[in-house]
Parts: sequence; structure tokens; C-alpha cells
Amino acid sequence: MSQDLSSAFLAYYSEFQKKDFSLISFERIFGGASRETYKIIVNDNSDNEERLVLRLSQDSSLIETEQKTEYLAYSAFQESNVPVPILIDMSEENSKLGAPFMLMRELKGEAASPFTPNIYAPHEVDLGKQFWSILGEIAKKEIDKDIFRDFIGEVEQPFWKNELDKWVKIIHEDSIGIEPILEAGIRHLYRNPPKESETISMVHGDYRSGNFLYSENKITGILDWEMAHLGDPLEDLGWALSPIWSWQDKDRPAYLLKREDALKIWEETSNISINKDDLNWWELFAAVKGMAIWISAGNEFKSGTNIDPINLFSAWIPGDIHLEIILDTLEKNI
Amino acid sequence: MKPDINIALLNAAQEIINRFSPLIEDEYEKSRLGSWGALILISALKFNDASSSLKKENHDIIEWLKEHSTISMKEFDKFKILDDKTIDQYDQDNQSLREMLDKQFETIQEEGDKILLKEGIDLMRSMHQRRKVSDLIGMLQQQEG
Repeated sequence: MSQDLSSAFLAYYSEFQKKDFSLISFERIFGGASRETYKIIVNDNSDNEERLVLRLSQDSSLIETEQKTEYLAYSAFQESNVPVPILIDMSEENSKLGAPFMLMRELKGEAASPFTPNIYAPHEVDLGKQFWSILGEIAKKEIDKDIFRDFIGEVEQPFWKNELDKWVKIIHEDSIGIEPILEAGIRHLYRNPPKESETISMVHGDYRSGNFLYSENKITGILDWEMAHLGDPLEDLGWALSPIWSWQDKDRPAYLLKREDALKIWEETSNISINKDDLNWWELFAAVKGMAIWISAGNEFKSGTNIDPINLFSAWIPGDIHLEIILDTLEKNI
Repeated sequence: MKPDINIALLNAAQEIINRFSPLIEDEYEKSRLGSWGALILISALKFNDASSSLKKENHDIIEWLKEHSTISMKEFDKFKILDDKTIDQYDQDNQSLREMLDKQFETIQEEGDKILLKEGIDLMRSMHQRRKVSDLIGMLQQQEG
């Protein structure tokens, strides 16, 4: 932990709340290379404890996104059926803490590794029902006009092409070498596009196992909205279903419920009927998007910009798995 | 005879995981060091086969292209496997060959010949099987535990 950062935070927070605080703890959380995340405990003069989470932009991260995007997404779901942390403040400037940041109240619960089998046992059924219904809630959420306006600058249609172009650009900018499997997958997506969605939804962008907090059998928070955008609701579904998040038990996406049960819950909650061909497209897209993220991580690591081992891990393990998923999909489509 | 490099890496990984990581109190730094240990362990296990795997992959791509493309045989002369070639040179050859394979598979995708598509995917799968480290994920989880 940087002593400078904790001191800067204490000075900022005391000024922000207009009262003095003392710092009890300031701990960085490992993982999630898109933001530096800190758990903070402070006490005020009356000995009232506050538990906070600080999300700080990194100079170099897996995917560079604006704090504002994440803040808007959290704002859209405050006091809704989608549990999100209570926001306290955000800044897009470097002046206060040396980097743009977002500050929120800490939620109860723990996050699991998405690569550990049966991590949610014995509560996988209860958590699974909530996981897929919350995703349905996100898909059907009517976006507040003000928030919609803030996002609208980045909405171009068709959604599928907008998203695919974005991630393919990252792949071709950051690739260390040529990967014929990935290129074949990209060509398949461009040649077989899905139908344009009739619904414009808020897309979380990284909705998966590991990105929610839970306490026993209850999901207490949906996290990591930094890739949120407006788009096709099947995008999140395809990402959450990806076999990478249940690699050692592919029949139970996210190590929760059986695939058919998950889809039924999502359809019932979102009131959106799933077109299987379109969902297949978004599932292959998920693997290509994943590759863009892992390639970007590998590039950061190789160039020395960010030698956090999470970047090497991302390039090696998830990168291999998503390539295999692309191969399997291409073979099924022959 | 001296201990091999992969043995040195293997032992270094075990030292990191079992001796140094437990000494660290800061949870973030402890996790970060533990991850390094696991990644060095993977490197050690893959180190010995790195060169031979690359040669085999280059050979397989060349044979596939000879059978499935109209590329002149002379084009493949520069990719010959020679004793004095370094692993970096084999890697450069590999990048050129992957590019040739990608172009040829693009043509096959455009034409839609199912047999050729299957044969191309089979080649790419064998290449992926040889390179991948994701089958070691169980070992990483053991280290985390």
C-alpha cells in the first residue's frame, strides 16, 4: 500500500465530509486489473466506523474505461432490484488522489474466483436463481433519460457491429503474434451477423461469476460495471454463459444452475424471448471479446507497462480457454 | 551434469509459494507473490518442450499448406529445420507460417468446403493442444489452496 495514497485519501475524505476522520485500515484487493481497488475503514470524531471501497483508475489497465461510465451504470441501479453499492463520490481528475476514482460504501459479502469449481456450494441453486434473474432485471431496466443521454454519445447501431469493431480493433492493435483460430472466429462473426435487437438495454459488460458479492445464499451486490454501455441484452447473457466461467463443469454456467434453467429464469425476468441463433452469435462474440481483453493484458505484461502477474495469468489461462471455445464453436458450425 | 533450468524454476516456485509467501502479512502482496509462484511453476513445466513444440508446429503447418494451398514448394525452403537455428528464429518462421495458414483458411471459409474446414480446424486444434497451459489450471488452484 502507498502511504502517500492513504494520507491523500484521509485528507480528501475529511474535506469532502467536512469533519475529521482517522484511518483504521487501507488495504488493496488483489485481482481485477482494470482498477486498483482498496477496502478502507475510517472512524469519525464520535467513533462511528465507516467501511468504504475506493476504485482508482490505473495508468495501465486491461481495458481503459472512464470512471464516469462506471458511475453512471451504478447510478442507474441505485435502490432497484439490482443490488449495487451506494455511491459516495467520483472524480475524473488526478488532483485529489493522483488518478480518477470512485468511492462507495462497502457491501457485505464475499467474491469468489470464477475459476474455482463448486465455489458456491451448497447455495448454488439459490444463488443461481438470483444471478440469472438479476441479469434479466438489468436487461429489462428502462434507462433514466438523463443517464441515457450521457451514454448516447457512444451508441451506434447495429449494436453487434459496433461492439465487434471495437474489440477487433483492440485485438489488432495489441496482438503480439498472429492467431489463426481467433481470426477465423472473427470472420465467422462478421459473415453471420445476428438480428438487430429491438430492445436497447443497459449492458453490464462483465456480468459473470466472480463479479458479484454473496453472503451464504444471497447475492448482495453486482460489481465491476466499468465496461457498461447501451446495447443488445443478449450480449451480457452470452458473456455470462461462456464456458470459461465453468470450465470444469460446462453444463452449469457460472457453476450455478443448468443452462436451460438459467435461460428460463432470464427470459421470465426480462420478458425477452431468446433467439437461439442470435444467442449463439453473442456467445462466440463473448470468446472473441475475451481474447481482446487477454491479448491486451499480455501486451501490457510483455511491454513492461504493467507486470502485475494477473496480466500474465490472463494471457495464458483464460486466453487458452477462449481460443478452445472459438475452435469448438467453429467446428459445430461446419 | 548440472541441474536443468526447468528444475531451477520448479524449485524457485516452490520456495516462493511455501517459504516466502506465508511470511507476508499484506493480503494483496501475498496473493501477488503466490500468483508469481504458480506462474513460474507453469513455466518450469512447459520449458523443456518449448523448442521441440515450435519445430513440430512449423512442420505441421508446412505439410498442411503443401497439401491444401497452391503456394510454391520453393516458398517453404526458408523454413527448413536446421541445427543452428535459434528458438527466436523458429518463432519468426512460426509467425510467417501462421500468417500463411490464416490466409489459406480465410479462402476455405469463403468457399465453404466442409471437408477442408474440418481439416483446417483439426490442424489448429493440434497446434492449440500443444501450446496451451490452461490444462494446468487445477495445479494453480492447488497452489492457491
